[in-house]
Amino acid sequence: MAAEASTRELTMSRAMVSAIAHEMRENSEVFYMGEDVADYGGIFDSTEGLREEFGYDRVMDVPISETAYLGAAVGAAQVGMRPIAELMFVDFFGVAMDQIYNQMAKNTYMSGGNVSVPMVLTAAVGGTYNDAAQHSQTLYGTFAHIPGLKVVVPSTAYEAKGLMHNAIRDDDPVLYMFHKRLMGIGWMPAPEGPKTPVPETDYTIPFGRADVKREGDDVTIVTLGLHVHRALEAAASLAEEDVSAEVVDLRSLVPLDTDTIVESVEKTGNLVVVDEDYRSFGVTGEIVASVADEALGALQNVERVAIPDVPIPYSRPLENEVIPSTEDIVTAVKRTQ
Amino acid sequence: MSEHTDRVAVTVAEWPDDVESDEGVVVNWFVGEDADVEESESLCEVQIEKVSLDVYAPATGTLTEILCAEDAEFERGETLAWISPAEDEAAQSSEQNDE
Repeated sequence: MAAEASTRELTMSRAMVSAIAHEMRENSEVFYMGEDVADYGGIFDSTEGLREEFGYDRVMDVPISETAYLGAAVGAAQVGMRPIAELMFVDFFGVAMDQIYNQMAKNTYMSGGNVSVPMVLTAAVGGTYNDAAQHSQTLYGTFAHIPGLKVVVPSTAYEAKGLMHNAIRDDDPVLYMFHKRLMGIGWMPAPEGPKTPVPETDYTIPFGRADVKREGDDVTIVTLGLHVHRALEAAASLAEEDVSAEVVDLRSLVPLDTDTIVESVEKTGNLVVVDEDYRSFGVTGEIVASVADEALGALQNVERVAIPDVPIPYSRPLENEVIPSTEDIVTAVKRTQ
Repeated sequence: MSEHTDRVAVTVAEWPDDVESDEGVVVNWFVGEDADVEESESLCEVQIEKVSLDVYAPATGTLTEILCAEDAEFERGETLAWISPAEDEAAQSSEQNDE
């Protein structure tokens, strides 16, 4: 079996599902609920096959009331279950913001530590497929901002499985944000890269550990999710022009692995942060500020590449214009050289 | 190619009932060429109209050749890949297995 495990590759969606199924087999308190997660298997294949194995009691389709079922998940977690609740599009968080921001994130603290909230909130994020301003956001900054939530963002199948195992086993609420374009769905082809070999056994990727996806000497590109792959493509193209770029995949926003970023910037002197969220009050500003706090003297040049502060357009050329492209990353890196 | 009886063709074994099309597209390969595969292991995912389904290994052995790469279209019944069966499963044709 070892030989198969080393050569078998999984899409990100299948890696997610394999971690969830493993945890559901091991622990009867783990269950999944969300819109279209049972019979449909998740509109982005996040639960494909789970209902067939575990039945409707543990893989539940819910009515369209995010407030109701996210609140139910918080309550179930507080009495000792380990719910995984899916927000079909992260953009829909607004209708359940009190459950997420005030209950899920804060009940451990509001109860003086008498309860914990060991739940996972999964959410599909991201654009690039012309779904307009209410179905294309990542909102990384919106969730990383609030204390009490851990926030993780896988970039490959390997990360997707290890982060999911860790998320379900964590005793605190974890927001698990998966990018639709990385899932490996037939109608939304993934770029090269997210489909990786995945061990059949369980393993965890600890939160707060960024991963250096490519080593380099001239510039540090910090990014996450889909843009890990665009940054790697940019780095490959920059290498042909003798610019050596290091690519840091954050993997988790909360906790944030500032040490790995600072260590890289102290080596390269130049920082480019690439984010598929809005530019203002978000990931790019936070990363730059964190490095400035720790190692201001190491910073020679700083560039931020993010969505300008506009709602994401439906029109394909306009959406392509606002979402950071590989060329945008190359151009930003060149400005630092 | 198909006269090599020692190789086993990987095909969509059961065409879905609820589609009209006689064409599909390969969405994902989960193993590469030269990979060791086990019978009934999922090898790839195909899409026919809007229906996604897995294609399983018809035999244990080595996936020697992929004929339809990712994003390639194929006709109903077309061979997607070839498997050379493992030696113990194909003892009756043991001399030809390395080919």
